[in-house]
Amino acid sequence: MELINPAPKLYERKTTRRKRVEQPVDGGEQREPIDALEVFEHIRDIVDPEHPYTLEQLNVVTEEQVEVDDVAGTVQVRFTPTVEHCSMATLIGLCIRVKLLRALPPRFKTDILLTPGSHASEAAVNKQLADKERVAAALENPNLLQMVDRCLRGAA
Amino acid sequence: MGSLEEVQCLEGHTDRVWQVAWAPSGDMLASCGGDRTVRIWRRQPTSSQQPAEQPQTPQQAEQQPAEQQHQRQQQQQQEDRWVCSAILEDTHSRTIRSVCWSPTGRFLATASFDRTTAIWQHQGGVWENVALLEGHESEVKEVAWNPNGCLIATCSRDKTVWLWEAQPGNEYEVVDVKHGHSQDVKCVRWHPQGEVLASASYDDSIKLWVDEDDEWVCAQTLAGPGVGHTSTVWELAFDAEGRRMVSCSDDGTLKIWACRKDAGRGQLRWQLLSTLTGYHGRTVFTVDWSKEGLIASGCADNAIRIFGEATADSAAAMDAEAVAAAADAAAAEPGLRGLFMQQQPQQQSCDSGGSSSEGGPFCLLCKREQAHPLDVNCVRWHPTDPGLLASAGDDCCVRLWRWHPPPA
Repeated sequence: MELINPAPKLYERKTTRRKRVEQPVDGGEQREPIDALEVFEHIRDIVDPEHPYTLEQLNVVTEEQVEVDDVAGTVQVRFTPTVEHCSMATLIGLCIRVKLLRALPPRFKTDILLTPGSHASEAAVNKQLADKERVAAALENPNLLQMVDRCLRGAA
Repeated sequence: MGSLEEVQCLEGHTDRVWQVAWAPSGDMLASCGGDRTVRIWRRQPTSSQQPAEQPQTPQQAEQQPAEQQHQRQQQQQQEDRWVCSAILEDTHSRTIRSVCWSPTGRFLATASFDRTTAIWQHQGGVWENVALLEGHESEVKEVAWNPNGCLIATCSRDKTVWLWEAQPGNEYEVVDVKHGHSQDVKCVRWHPQGEVLASASYDDSIKLWVDEDDEWVCAQTLAGPGVGHTSTVWELAFDAEGRRMVSCSDDGTLKIWACRKDAGRGQLRWQLLSTLTGYHGRTVFTVDWSKEGLIASGCADNAIRIFGEATADSAAAMDAEAVAAAADAAAAEPGLRGLFMQQQPQQQSCDSGGSSSEGGPFCLLCKREQAHPLDVNCVRWHPTDPGLLASAGDDCCVRLWRWHPPPA
């Protein structure tokens, strides 16, 4: 199969550090809030559908593109395909969505969106990724689920 | 403001519950979802649960401590309990997205992501799968029986609406396949008089289909700038008379449509009456219109909202509350989805677009936060018990609610 982007630019895996000050825990009962870094940790090692590189190495996802509001229970992830006609964009978005569905507490409302201007079919891809009925149906498709699981294997 | 009191949580499904449907008589409720089963819930009157307490002579009652009498009175005021009486399984291999009773209540239709629609017959206390409607190329999203029970409409991700005619001996014949939507069809709903079939789609439009010389034709498409929804239309519902329709969308709005007779050609045309903007924080998945005129909506922000028509007297008072509520809703979504911020809740929150013949403006009467701890996928009013509402959620639960109207 011909590759959509035969020679993608590669980026270093960054060393990340928690910016927030660790709060002293009162009685050990307090729940540590989920932050952008934690969400990023879940998705950085997802493997690209067509390259043996991670989404972080391809600069598809970055920590800066993750927004989390723990109190409101919202997560927003923006991702940037390597080329703007990337036919894998929906699959990449689906992988991110599935990973977060499995990793985050269910109370979180997750929005997975393309970085504005990063894709020729931005609105269509965003709409598809936001449609939970389509996502549910896709995950009942064994072939598609197999592809997603293959990409997620790196991000265990 | 009125309130919704939770009267029961029906547990048993092991995955997201997509839809619930009341039997026409109101004595049963069907639910379906991601666990590929249908559950039938049956009303169990409170009195039958407490048979020992029923027959009492006045003397016996006198001998009882006051506390016990009080308890008994409370039990009499309690709602009937609903219990799972049957589980329909092993027919669909994927999510069951939709469930619909035939008008007589003898049959149940189920639509599944496995591309099929199954017909179940209830006989002698047993549910039996008596027919399987095959033809859709991808997931069937909804099934709807027409009011006289002769026709079934189904819709699918394959962008089509199919019409099936009931034949003797549990046979169903395809009478029409309607192309027209450019994307998934999410919902099909019959007009209460059965002459019009409405469909709602991922293509942001609503289409109205009518029977013309044995062919169903698209009489009208409700879409476009300034009129239609700006994202997927998830569901719609008619009012009891069929003169109005409400639709809900991923764009976070409800739209009320009214049927008017075209002056020139005498045709019935549907027109946008009002848009309820600023109330919903995320996608509105479901909407239902009660016989008493209340609109219930279920949203991806976990809330159930009840809207009603304001009388002239109450409109002003309601408006103030509604505007405040709408402003809160908008403030709670800081830039999450720009769509909501562009619109002015104040302008439309308590809409006055309707003429008196089409009813008053619609106002928010109640917002029940965290009705389910996750998305609310379906809300349905009970057909005969005013104020009883069923909802289905991503939390695997069906919940029953009692509506308490605002004090007069």
